[in-house]
Amino acid sequence: MTSMRWLTVVVLVLFSGAVWAELVLNRPAERSYDIVIESGYLNVGVYENFPPYSFLREGEPAGVDIELGRRIAAELGVEFRVHWVVPDETLEDDLRNNVWKGHYLARTRVADVMLRVPYDKVYAYMRDSTGEVINEQVVLFGPYQQEQWQIAFDPEDLDAVQTMAVFQYHPIGVEIDTLPDTYLTSAFRGRLRDQTHHYRNVSDAFGAMVAGDVSAVMGMRAEIDYALAQRGEHGFRPASNGFPGISKQVWDVGMAVKHTHRQLGYAIEAIVDRMVRNGELAAIFDRYGLRYTMPGFYQEILNDTVNETINVTTGG
Amino acid sequence: MRSNRIGMQFTASALALAVSYGANAVTDEDIMNDHMTTDDVVSYGMGLQGQRFSTLDTLNTDNVRNLQPAWAFAFGGEKMRGQESQPMVKDGVMYVSASYSRVYAIDAKTGEELWQYDARLPDGIMPCCDVINRGVALYDDKVIFGTLDAKLVALNKDTGKVVWIKKVADYQAGYSITAAPIIVNGKLITGVSGGEFGIVGKVEAYDPNTGEILWTRPTVEGHMGYVYKDGEAIENGISGGEAGRTWPGDLWKTGGAATWLGGTYDPVTDSLFFGTGNPAPWNSHLRPGDNLFSSSRLAIDPNDGSIKWHFQTTPHDGWDYDGVNELISFDYEDDGDVVHAAATADRNGFFYVLNRETGDFIRGFPFVDKITWAEGLDDNGRPIYADGGRPGNPADVSADKGEPVLAQPSFLGGKNWMPMAFNQETGLFYVPSNEWAMDIWNEPVSYKKGAAYLGAGFTIRPVNDDYIGVLRAIDPKTGEEVWRHENRAPLWGGVMTTAGDLVFTGTPEGYLKAFDAKTGEELYRFNTGSGVVGTPITWEMDGEQYVSVASGWGGAVPLWGGEVARVVKDFNQGGMVWTFKLPSDRVAGN
Repeated sequence: MTSMRWLTVVVLVLFSGAVWAELVLNRPAERSYDIVIESGYLNVGVYENFPPYSFLREGEPAGVDIELGRRIAAELGVEFRVHWVVPDETLEDDLRNNVWKGHYLARTRVADVMLRVPYDKVYAYMRDSTGEVINEQVVLFGPYQQEQWQIAFDPEDLDAVQTMAVFQYHPIGVEIDTLPDTYLTSAFRGRLRDQTHHYRNVSDAFGAMVAGDVSAVMGMRAEIDYALAQRGEHGFRPASNGFPGISKQVWDVGMAVKHTHRQLGYAIEAIVDRMVRNGELAAIFDRYGLRYTMPGFYQEILNDTVNETINVTTGG
Repeated sequence: MRSNRIGMQFTASALALAVSYGANAVTDEDIMNDHMTTDDVVSYGMGLQGQRFSTLDTLNTDNVRNLQPAWAFAFGGEKMRGQESQPMVKDGVMYVSASYSRVYAIDAKTGEELWQYDARLPDGIMPCCDVINRGVALYDDKVIFGTLDAKLVALNKDTGKVVWIKKVADYQAGYSITAAPIIVNGKLITGVSGGEFGIVGKVEAYDPNTGEILWTRPTVEGHMGYVYKDGEAIENGISGGEAGRTWPGDLWKTGGAATWLGGTYDPVTDSLFFGTGNPAPWNSHLRPGDNLFSSSRLAIDPNDGSIKWHFQTTPHDGWDYDGVNELISFDYEDDGDVVHAAATADRNGFFYVLNRETGDFIRGFPFVDKITWAEGLDDNGRPIYADGGRPGNPADVSADKGEPVLAQPSFLGGKNWMPMAFNQETGLFYVPSNEWAMDIWNEPVSYKKGAAYLGAGFTIRPVNDDYIGVLRAIDPKTGEEVWRHENRAPLWGGVMTTAGDLVFTGTPEGYLKAFDAKTGEELYRFNTGSGVVGTPITWEMDGEQYVSVASGWGGAVPLWGGEVARVVKDFNQGGMVWTFKLPSDRVAGN
């Protein structure tokens, strides 16, 4: 009895601090680095239902972002816990709902770190109409991959995709409300618009290519590579065309933490930096059948290192 | 003693049950005559035409200052978001919904709770504009309402227990329901809310007793409507005849036009009137054409869901001027002839008077002080677009943020969801409106779901220093603004008017206010403790006139930043329903 009572007191004391206050106040827990380590787990935010980055495969979380999250948690010595992000209209909404404030339907549910957050200094320091920094509540850090646009096509319909002009005559599938969607329905004065077919995601668009409804699909390179690997029996091929007039050809992808949790960010950054440099990340992408490109940030510094080495050699 | 008390309680509750079953069921006749009966409110709109006019004149301009709070009821919990509900009253019981898809039955005399129902909402629902609910429908022994995860729920009106639950649409695809369903001749009619992209609006009829679907009518050109017989779907014609007439490519498949504010019904023409939301995608340069039936009013046959006529207020909408605002049926005389008209105050700033038999445009005029996106309306009511008034194409973006386009009204509209009222005595519409503008520009850097994206930035700002909200009395025959009452914060609550020459509405500052319907003089105010964004009702009980309104600040306004946020940021949230009455000894007005 007595020991039970003491146990109750201990439990109450444990709960009486931050956790209890946050439940009562209905706000996200302040999970700083020390608390994360002490708690023994890390909530990793990844987009739900978003292959090949993060999705459920036979009921288990899978994908390159999931693998990366598992590695981060393992290196920190804590359990990996997945926090599925339901995408809102913009990244700004996702950061608010999942990193710093919590969605108003689930105020206490936030991730300790969110993956697949574009790493872009212009975006990070963007100001709103009143001069406030829009994303001041989060820190964007740790670029780990460079992403770009890609088309896959059906060789039975098209010999090749040399330029976008071919899609004046051949139907192409695209995920709705994405940059490729805007591009296909507005570029070249709308001349591709009538051939543009909209789907809920890249996988559905590939399904339409299998069914013969479209001759090609445009999306992110990793999505396209993954769909090609999944549907290898159809002989679809990646195109090598350019995308004239598209506003952003390539971009770096990194992570985000709440601005008060920089220490956690530094610890994660060190882990991910090592994985980018020693090829571990490239290996994860390779296991999913995806091409991997280092973020522009690393291309610059590593190339500089290479150049320096060359200079030293020639100079010597 | 003790057993006696229990025995007495048992007898009392058994009596209550006996009373509530049988005689007190809500009938089709009750609902059809709701605008004429003063002892109940059994339809959203205080009558299916949606006039929100009560023939009660016990409470009037002489004695309204004696209106007194009778009771207040807290919705409880931590779920204090916007309370946009209109209460219902039947046989001494109030039925009112609250934020997060909750419903309450309350003793209308004492304010004591009879039962409460909390919908169990799934994780991951993403309603666009707060977790509000606008009200319930009553039918037979049931209370029926729509949930944020796009279901219809029928509860027993005496116990609050679930009778049936029916999924109307997939919340994971972006659908939800926030509007009050309506009952028309034994059919339960509902629309759907939806996020910005990928959904297609629809109006549907269900059997209120079983939840079985009766017909469905998509609101975007090219989609097939169906009627259901013995569980079988029978084709009932494609909306608009065929796909592709007013849409490029396959964009009609995901055209938007959500019917998120529900509808009204007119027995004279046997028509449902539903408004439709903006077309998708938001960037109008991607979808040249009128994009039917987005931003329109539709007259729908309640028997099978056929579209009788449509009137599009904003063809090729590029400003997010949803056309959902309520279309209110009313009659007026013109050279001795009775005109069967209907009126609506659109988000786009124009007030329209239509022939409700044909949908023909009778007249239209601005009801806000300034409209920048159009120069006026032509003879058919179609807007004459202003040069440079359309937001630019983000696909044309250069490295810099483009020149902002100023649009007035802002996308939250000259008038938003909050229903106006029509007074049969004064012949005037009382319109809760707002004076605000928006700047829209192309965002040079934008991301969505891990990918580069093309976004537009916008900010809403007040037009005047000292007020945003304006309650207006509008003459539908002349377009004249008979009076106006300015309010510092934007108005976001509905309006109700009475034969006692009164106009009631609430303000975000927390007040329930009453105005002289003829002059606009403010005659009464009471602070409810949180912003009022609900819609007041009035009814008679035991020979006394009552007024009720939900209180609880929220809705879309606090979710949008910019300069408007500065006006509203200090308003506290809440969640209550307040009930007032004029005591019988104060009617004389002393």
